[in-house]
Amino acid sequence: MFRKLKYIVSFVLIFFLMNSCIEIIDDISLNSDGTGTFKYTINLSSNKVKVNSILALDSLNGKKVPSIKEIEEKIAIYKEKIEKKEGISNVKFESNFEDFIIKFQCDFTNVGFLQKAVKEIVIEEDKSISEVNHTWLIWDGNKFIRSAPKITSQSTNNLKNEDITELKKGKYVSITRFDRFIDKSENSLAEISKNKLNIMIKTDPYSLSKNVEIIENTIHLTPKKQP
Amino acid sequence: MKILKINTVIYFIATTFLLLNPFISQSQNSENLIPKDALTVFSINNISLLKKIPLDELINYEFMSEIHSELFDGSTKGKTIKDSGIDFDQKLNVFYGKSEEFEITGITFGIKDKKQLFQVFDDFQKDEIHIKDLEIYSSLFNHLLIKGNSALLLRVDPSYFTLSNITDSIWYARGYGYFYDNQYENMYSYDDYESELITDDDQIEKIEIIGDDLFIKNQLEDTTDNLFELTHKTYWEIKDSVSYVLQNQYFNSIIDEIFVQNINLVNQDSKFASQLLHHSDGIFYLDNSRNFERANGLTQFQLFFPELFNDMKELYTGNIMLGDINLKEKSIEVDFQANYGNDLGSIYEKLNSSKFDKNVLKYIHKNNSGFFTYNIDLKEGYNQAFNTIIPILQQEKDPRVSEKVLYAELMNEFINTDALFDTYKGSMFGTFNGIKKVKTTRIEFFYDEDTFEYGEIEIENEEDMPVFALGFSTNRADIPNKILNHFSRMTSRFKNMGKYWVIEDALLNSIPLYIINKNNLLIFTNDDNLAKNHSDGYGSNALSGKAAKKATKSKFMYGYFDWGIALGDLPREAFNSKQNEVLDAMKNKTGILELTSSKTTKSKTTFNLTYTFEGNFDNSGKYLLDLINSAYVLSR
Repeated sequence: MFRKLKYIVSFVLIFFLMNSCIEIIDDISLNSDGTGTFKYTINLSSNKVKVNSILALDSLNGKKVPSIKEIEEKIAIYKEKIEKKEGISNVKFESNFEDFIIKFQCDFTNVGFLQKAVKEIVIEEDKSISEVNHTWLIWDGNKFIRSAPKITSQSTNNLKNEDITELKKGKYVSITRFDRFIDKSENSLAEISKNKLNIMIKTDPYSLSKNVEIIENTIHLTPKKQP
Repeated sequence: MKILKINTVIYFIATTFLLLNPFISQSQNSENLIPKDALTVFSINNISLLKKIPLDELINYEFMSEIHSELFDGSTKGKTIKDSGIDFDQKLNVFYGKSEEFEITGITFGIKDKKQLFQVFDDFQKDEIHIKDLEIYSSLFNHLLIKGNSALLLRVDPSYFTLSNITDSIWYARGYGYFYDNQYENMYSYDDYESELITDDDQIEKIEIIGDDLFIKNQLEDTTDNLFELTHKTYWEIKDSVSYVLQNQYFNSIIDEIFVQNINLVNQDSKFASQLLHHSDGIFYLDNSRNFERANGLTQFQLFFPELFNDMKELYTGNIMLGDINLKEKSIEVDFQANYGNDLGSIYEKLNSSKFDKNVLKYIHKNNSGFFTYNIDLKEGYNQAFNTIIPILQQEKDPRVSEKVLYAELMNEFINTDALFDTYKGSMFGTFNGIKKVKTTRIEFFYDEDTFEYGEIEIENEEDMPVFALGFSTNRADIPNKILNHFSRMTSRFKNMGKYWVIEDALLNSIPLYIINKNNLLIFTNDDNLAKNHSDGYGSNALSGKAAKKATKSKFMYGYFDWGIALGDLPREAFNSKQNEVLDAMKNKTGILELTSSKTTKSKTTFNLTYTFEGNFDNSGKYLLDLINSAYVLSR
């Protein structure tokens, strides 16, 4: 009876918990020799009541809702898969299911291997995503070009106004770090840190989904390495 | 004497009229075409209400989906029901039924203009049939049968159990091994998979499947074609053939019953026949006794314990729900009766013999958005059920059943049922007091301006939360207290605050749950105001007067809900497209939903559901169909 009660209460609660916003941080540290570290953080802590209510349901929108245990198992599978990819090492997944913050981090020997690893994982999950062929990181030793595939734009075309408002409340932060000073960047929204080694673009998930060019940037570095 | 004579004359004329006009008394009415196997029927008397409803909209209802899928390919576009040739002077009956062998879905209706009708049913081809005055038209698995001015649109499907049994038997008889349903699905889902297909001649062909799905499927089909000649069908081909034969067999048997033997639900079930005579806008009929008998989940039970199954079936005899739907200017009223046989009725009668617990009224705020009360006496119900069901089970000689009976009898002896049912009496109530902001915390990232390194900081957050209370009647406050005290010793999350208990982060790992254990009630709520300031009730702000009287008078249960408040906030992801349409249709309406019930007797409990709305009531037919659809979906 109490299990049923828990389900009913959760279902009733979710009716009213549609206020949500998500925070995503993508953070690439790139060394002059092409090696680096990629970090990706998803923060759902401002929606934890909603996420908890969804997790309490068996299904949502006709799809099965995974349990935390299943999510953890899936994360472990991904970790194992990524660890096996060429040029990738030091893979870390941190999941905090109290506040719903998930952090991923890995080292790469060059950005080509990082992209190859991501592409392979995506294809293993869904072969139909053609946008995965997009090359979004290019490093030539002095210049770093970042872009994003357009897949997200298509998936948000059918969103309702309420969902759009919520996505606009979220944050998307893209950070790129170097071991040399930044000379200039071609995206006017980008902000260079005081020590001139890092560059950041802040936007929201909705704007990014509608226009991936927001985080596109070509970053030119000075030839001089940091002291 | 004169009166007697007049009565005799009227009786004579009426009898003669009925006898000489079998068409008028029987076949000409659409309801006389409802098969006897129908378990659920919705009959719309006043179908003129539906005239304005676009046919495209009608065929999208769940109750139409079973039969419409292959029927209408654009022939309904831009047309309303008025243009469909349907006779609005006859009833329109939607039915669903199930037997051990088959499932049936269909509609019966009157015909006014056959030409117009076939503009809608344009894919139907006339078939030959040797039953006098009956015309039959078919389109794939759907059949349209016309006799006089009435039609039956029918689909018959063999039951999964019957179909699988026969197919499996043929499959085994041909020497193949055990066949499981997802055999080929698994084959597609692995990159490398070896499968063995055993031919009739015991030849074994190994198929190595490597590569993409399409390749695998083609490879499989090609190989299958090569391996099996026409006489050697695959499992699925056999199943299709069996299905086709069974469909025809069952269909022929049903039409023979209706059109030759004149057997239909009206003349087989007097309760249904009498319900049809009601002058409401619509009626419904749900036969739970036959639903029990034909429930798929009980097949094994029936197989292993046939005598017990029959005894339990008897318990459900006469368990029929009958109802009337009435559309008024500003409300929809649904009156329904849950009818029981003697044995089941005696359990319900005892179960529902509880007196209304007036303590609950103190905890229902007069400005609440919705609440329900539910009054049962679990102890009385348990005792009656024990006395009714255990003797039935004792007759069973099967050792497994006998063992369970012994357990039940021993438990009954050893457990202090008085203490149990004094703690959990069965009666309960629930309230919904709108939406409040509740305090939670969230993690925010802050960035160092020099390096853009980031760290986490916990800050206060507010989220919307529905405020509810759920209370249970109890005479033993000491027992929940024992449990709560135990937990408070085990974890700091359980705190005794004197007037109430609090469990930190109990709801969704974020929000406290308050427990009030007073006034013979055990109340769970997330309303801090109720717990902290009104642990003895809302006082002068509690539900009182007419509203309280209504709840008190409604014997078994009472429900009240203000739709206008919550509908706009429902998460649409949780509903399918049709349910969302229903919600959309109701979204702009504000209204009150109220459920009342009568005292339960050995034979029935009556309920009344009233939806009183403000705003426009421009398409009552739509409301009616929405109601029918909801009930149909629930009843399946």
